[in-house]
Amino acid sequence: MTGRLKALAPGLAFIAFWIAALEIAARAGWVNRVFSPYPSEIAARMGQVLGSPAFLEALGSTVGLLAAGYLLACAAGILLGLAMGYHRPTYTLFEPTLELLRPIPKPALLPPLILLLGLGAAMKIAIIFLGALFPVLINTIQGARTVDPVLVDVARTFRRGSLRTVFQVILPASLPLILAGMRVSLGLGLILVILSEMLTGSDGLGAKLVDAQRAFRVQEMYAWTVVLAALGLALALSFDALERRLIFWSSKR
Amino acid sequence: MSELLQVRRVAKTFDAREGQVVALRSIDLTVLKGEFVSIVGPSGCGKSTLLQIIAGLVPASSGEVLLEGRAVVAPPEGVVYLFQQYSRSLMPWLTVEKNVQFGLQNAAPERCAHFLDMVGLADFRARYPWELSGGMQQRVAIARALAAEPRVLLLDEPFSSVDALTRLDLNGLIMDLWTRTGITILLVTHDVEEAVYLSDRVALLTRRPAEVAQVFPNALPRPRSPVDSREDSRFLALRHELLTRLLQPA
Repeated sequence: MTGRLKALAPGLAFIAFWIAALEIAARAGWVNRVFSPYPSEIAARMGQVLGSPAFLEALGSTVGLLAAGYLLACAAGILLGLAMGYHRPTYTLFEPTLELLRPIPKPALLPPLILLLGLGAAMKIAIIFLGALFPVLINTIQGARTVDPVLVDVARTFRRGSLRTVFQVILPASLPLILAGMRVSLGLGLILVILSEMLTGSDGLGAKLVDAQRAFRVQEMYAWTVVLAALGLALALSFDALERRLIFWSSKR
Repeated sequence: MSELLQVRRVAKTFDAREGQVVALRSIDLTVLKGEFVSIVGPSGCGKSTLLQIIAGLVPASSGEVLLEGRAVVAPPEGVVYLFQQYSRSLMPWLTVEKNVQFGLQNAAPERCAHFLDMVGLADFRARYPWELSGGMQQRVAIARALAAEPRVLLLDEPFSSVDALTRLDLNGLIMDLWTRTGITILLVTHDVEEAVYLSDRVALLTRRPAEVAQVFPNALPRPRSPVDSREDSRFLALRHELLTRLLQPA
């Protein structure tokens, strides 16, 4: 652990330097304190934000929506991706639709989704789902199609049926690529949950952020921004840990 | 002994950029129940393709393979193909024990232990394939193949990427397992000594497009020993004959 801390030290020092520079710049009056408050002020406001009941409520709402949309997207992306990657007719059937939907910048779907599903949870889950689906799906198809044919032949010579071949051979063998797709999807899901909350302005961290900005509570706005940064970091680190557990073998062959 | 496996006029043509390539012209071969037969031939003559056709992994362009009188169209029950690329054929996310379990139709840990014991890897069941040497990995693949309790084992140059001593060691293991289980083994190899040492009969293939040039009976008595049998006059005679034929200019 001390070795890891040592490795991180220069990078952390760099961040500390910039925070200190911002503090000095604001205190010296080089930047407008109204728009760019002292980092120490933001930190103090962070304490208040974190201690308020609104924080847990907003965090719970955002994480709940993200989890629902993201996990649905992963499940659908992996299942459809395995089917498309393993079974040629399924691929032929869905591939044009996929190529049509994939390039749409997903925020462009927000206005129609709001018309169709309203401003509530269903719309937000739908937009997260659509945004997170494609990276998982594309990578799963790619993974399933590039599994070492020797492994597939092993399953054949031992007379494993299609279902067991898919779940016992294709799925685990594709896992490194699937997880890479899931990582991209997680980032997109976070962007889309915050964006949809900012747009509807009802609950969640995104709504808190725009509320603070519109009411000109600038310190609080920065505090929510920092909360979001921390959420993104926490998600990325959790994902790393999950990945290390699931594909510990992938660099060993 | 009864005819277990019949290969009848099997031909294989591949589509390549330069047109159709005939890999196997017409192969006829019969293997008796309990026999150990080797197939040798020049490199690139289609030996592996032939074995994959017999395994039901690759369809023949024409002709047929009969297992106990029934045509092989998909991997049949009781036939297991052992891959040359052992490191690619084992699943890196499974332990040695779980890899062997993949061969069992219904996973039973004590059966797994039995087969790992047969190949001398009882102490390595909790390890991962990538933690083992090449020879040990091939032993895991052999244990997995045996766990499926095949009547016919098809070996595709199974020892070609291990060092010479490990190779002799694995030859001994296969001969021992063959003697103990009474299964039928068909071995494809480019190593003439290996073929003569292990087999009851050796089928020599011609250059591509391949046909069976001749099937040689092997007079080398059993039980065979890794050192003495290789100095036996009958071993040397067959080796001489096979190598001479293989090295003949086209």
